[in-house]
Amino acid sequence: MEGGYDEIISDNPFFVAFKSEYMEIFQHCIAQSWIVCVPRVGSLNTRVFAIEDFCAHVLVPSDELPETHYSTLTEKQVTVANKVISLEVTKGLPLQSHILFEETFYTEDFMKYKVWCIESPLEPTSNVGGNDVTKESLCSINDCIDLLWTQAAGRQVLDQIDLTVQLFIKKNPVLPYAVGSLKVTISELYTHCLQVALQNKRLRDKSKASKHILENIKLAVECYMQQLIFDYIFKPICTSCSYEDSHLNKKIRNMCDIQLRDLDIKKELYHAVPKAKQILSKIDSYNTVLEKVLCLKQALNAINENSNSSNAMLLTADDLLPVFVFLLIKSGLPNWYSQLTYMKEFQFSGIGRGDGDESIFLITTLEAVIEHIQSGALAGPPDPESYYYDSNNSDDSISSCNQRRNSTTESISTTETTGREETLDYVFDLIKANHTEQVQALLERNRKHLNNMQDNEKSAIKLSLDEMDNDDDDSDVEIYQKLCHPLCNCKKCCQKLSKNLLKTSPTISSRDSHGLTPLHVASIYGKAAIVEILLDMGADVNATDLNECSPLHYSASRGHQNALLLLLHSGADINKANIDKNAPLHMAVNNGHLNCVKALIYFAEHGRKQIIVNCCNGNGNTPLHLASKWGYEGIAKLLIENGAEPSLQNRNGKSAFDIAHNYKILQVLKSSTPSLYEYIHITSADIKKLNLKNDNPITQKLQSLKIRNDRNKASKTVENLKRIERILQAISYGDIKLACFYMNINYDNYTDAKCDLKDPLCHPLCECNNCKTVTVSTISDFDVNFCDSNGYTPLHHAARYGLDELCKILILNRANINLSNRKGQTALHLAALHNKSTTLRHLLDCGANINAIDFSGNTPLHDACEVGNIGATKVLLGYDPDLNMLNASDKTPLDVAKGKVHLTIIDLIEKYSNKASIYK
Amino acid sequence: MAQSSNGTNNFKVVLLGEGCVGKTSILLRYIEDKFNEKHLSTLQATFLNKKLNINGKRINLSIWDTAGQERFHALGPIYYRNSNGAILVYDITDQYSFVKVKNWVKELKKMLGSDIVLAIAGNKIDLDHERAVSLEEATQYAEQVGAKHYHTSAKINEGVEELFLNLTRDMLERYESKKQTEVTRSSRVLVVDDEAPPPSSCCSSFMGA
Repeated sequence: MEGGYDEIISDNPFFVAFKSEYMEIFQHCIAQSWIVCVPRVGSLNTRVFAIEDFCAHVLVPSDELPETHYSTLTEKQVTVANKVISLEVTKGLPLQSHILFEETFYTEDFMKYKVWCIESPLEPTSNVGGNDVTKESLCSINDCIDLLWTQAAGRQVLDQIDLTVQLFIKKNPVLPYAVGSLKVTISELYTHCLQVALQNKRLRDKSKASKHILENIKLAVECYMQQLIFDYIFKPICTSCSYEDSHLNKKIRNMCDIQLRDLDIKKELYHAVPKAKQILSKIDSYNTVLEKVLCLKQALNAINENSNSSNAMLLTADDLLPVFVFLLIKSGLPNWYSQLTYMKEFQFSGIGRGDGDESIFLITTLEAVIEHIQSGALAGPPDPESYYYDSNNSDDSISSCNQRRNSTTESISTTETTGREETLDYVFDLIKANHTEQVQALLERNRKHLNNMQDNEKSAIKLSLDEMDNDDDDSDVEIYQKLCHPLCNCKKCCQKLSKNLLKTSPTISSRDSHGLTPLHVASIYGKAAIVEILLDMGADVNATDLNECSPLHYSASRGHQNALLLLLHSGADINKANIDKNAPLHMAVNNGHLNCVKALIYFAEHGRKQIIVNCCNGNGNTPLHLASKWGYEGIAKLLIENGAEPSLQNRNGKSAFDIAHNYKILQVLKSSTPSLYEYIHITSADIKKLNLKNDNPITQKLQSLKIRNDRNKASKTVENLKRIERILQAISYGDIKLACFYMNINYDNYTDAKCDLKDPLCHPLCECNNCKTVTVSTISDFDVNFCDSNGYTPLHHAARYGLDELCKILILNRANINLSNRKGQTALHLAALHNKSTTLRHLLDCGANINAIDFSGNTPLHDACEVGNIGATKVLLGYDPDLNMLNASDKTPLDVAKGKVHLTIIDLIEKYSNKASIYK
Repeated sequence: MAQSSNGTNNFKVVLLGEGCVGKTSILLRYIEDKFNEKHLSTLQATFLNKKLNINGKRINLSIWDTAGQERFHALGPIYYRNSNGAILVYDITDQYSFVKVKNWVKELKKMLGSDIVLAIAGNKIDLDHERAVSLEEATQYAEQVGAKHYHTSAKINEGVEELFLNLTRDMLERYESKKQTEVTRSSRVLVVDDEAPPPSSCCSSFMGA
């Protein structure tokens, strides 16, 4: 690093001698503000200085070029360029000396003079003393090894440090995760290494002789130690920073398509960005703090490197920070926060001390940049569905929206000859501003117009061919009314007609230059209401833009769960690959949207669609690779639970294990047995939130969609087994409240109403407020039709244990009353088997199929007869069962009862059949 | 920043102020007569380092330029923590920049207390005819918050060196007096230690009352 050398000038023997012995000359120099050069300590080995020595080291600026040209008091010409003093000598090459640093002195009487500390004396004849010219600064691990090797004349010191570190690793097989204690441990190791190094006599003597050498040795030891131990300590650091890292990654991923102009970066700097980016992304490959800091510095310098070096532009912090932000976003490194922590906390020797705090400054800059990204102050995409809830009152003028759009993408040309209303951009802006009705009205109108035009065209052709009258065409009355006469052929009318024909209005399937349809835009901005409208109007749900991205891709990558679900329910292709072979799941995972990942998986599970959890994108990465790389713990867990395979390799031959950079993720990957307790049924929270607004059409739509979907059959949520077990257990204990709690059903809603199923509504189709609250708000979104491994649903259990109240609640929550378990038994079968007469009655009232048969052909009545349940038989007979049903052994219920000799039952059935035959 | 082992004081100074008030120009003017013309292009103007020797006391001055744009305002604390001095620059032709200075002073006082030496610099005095911030108002305000006020012009090189030199002197003074009070405080603590520790705590007295 620049100016790494430092010494106390006022202790330098040359300077001391000059000041004390030749006071007058010295004072004169000060008065004239000439520059005094002081050879660094040790470079002159004489103790006695003559007056010529001093005069040779006083520089008098020349009149013409006071900055670069000087002459000494011994009349020699001196030039200064790039920190090097060149002295003209009579023969041979000019004598050169490095300027190590400059120090400005202020005397008590406010005189000011400058002293340059230089590498070697400015005298050709002087006896050069210092035997070892210290290298100015250490720049890499190789420099450090070099220094330790040469200064100790052999590799003993290096070997000693190796040994110390190895012993340390052996002694501490597991390091603490907390950065604080890790730092203490490592600093202890560092001190130990330094002790070992200084045990070498040569090193000790040299470091005693010069402070500068001691500093360099400290730094070299530290670097060498870091090099050895880096792999060992970086994972713990990453682990403790995993939370910050994954959050930062999520922020960065969601901004990854940000452009230079979005950050207000000076145009002059554009060309330097690729190079700087290349340099910065290498920071990962360095192991030592020293090299990492240097890497930062080089990247900063690269930004400033001007292609035409004629006028180097000066960069202020205002210019630099945005570039740095951009570089960080584009660097693709998954662990910036850990890198920062490592640099900030794990330098012990105080690198670059002589350089002031430049390394601290660089690290602080990095910290500031990370902080800036974290704070979300950047103009990234808006928060998922942030505009969603204020859909009703977001009457903010479109102009503000236009401004935003103009500032982010400059693609809009604001000079339009046709009305603003007629451009696709206008429609897109409306969508972004969430002006639901306007979008609908406009597109509706344009569609009508388009249809008119098509009809009109036909009729126009027709007219020109056989000049027939078509007065029954009423769809385009408007246009015809404007004409002089429906068949007029005058110029004016023709113009009007052709104008209408030429009019290009945006419709539902129009596309912009990127191939984006209105549905794409609505999905990008998460406008669920508009997505719904567009879908209703028949928008193509699988339309792709130039990157072959469907609206589903966008809603997944932006984290808009509601829009995503609407698209899925409208039949969007869940596994569609875009141009990079990324499926929507990849997009959601890459940007860290846990809610969307859950939605995708959940939908696939319940919608009987196959989602390929292990699908590969263009780089061979599965979604799990991405989750592992960016450190999204929750998503990784979810993927694993749903069958993601962590050992799959991508194109670079790396598995998710290889990509993971902290232990937390590794643990998730290793957990082959999924922890089901963590599995949360998706959207329950979201729907609950939506429920606050009862009259929200989207809410109702979503709910009805979900329910329609669930009606198919009992869900096979293998992942839910544990939870299901808990619920079923609660039911078997008869704890209805607990079961309701588990199922997300608000038990209290049902206690007071005591829901009389018969007539809760004023009228079956009534939509008054009272009825709505009964039907909509009390219904939980939780799918109560789940089942355990034997196919038992909660309703089965409730019936089995005779919990009438729970049965009611479940049925109110859309439990499918006729679901069968693995043996083909419905809830009614179980109630009959266990003689729960009230439950039987209740189930039958709610429409349970009395003649349902299980896999051995038994109806509930068969079962009741078999076991001899008199109460159950009575109830069943009250609901007109088919007495002639034969089971697998060709027996009617009566046969069964007879076989078991249940006399009462035989009696009951016979009475019933007699009665029935009488009525017939 | 503490004194390093070899008797050199390391002082960190931050330059704060709104966007176009000329922070960077002041910084550049101060180190302008550096010997290495390539120096600036390699280091940018965001961080500079200067060695001073005032009456035999060595000072290593690290001067940090900060981003002035509003969008980076939240990053302030990251930059000014641990600094010994702050130079708050405003443009005398721009009333708003002076308001910003007041905000910065408030923030610094809140975050760093009296540990930091403040200097307020009214820049661009070469444009005195366009002055918008009155001299009295500025000096009065500076006095009120315990800061020194300077007039500078990076363009015609006026007051810049004085600004840095005086600030350095003040920081040195503050540092040494602080060291002094620390010494006296520690001795006082010793005296207290000799006595019996006061038995009452706030809780017990509260309960008693």
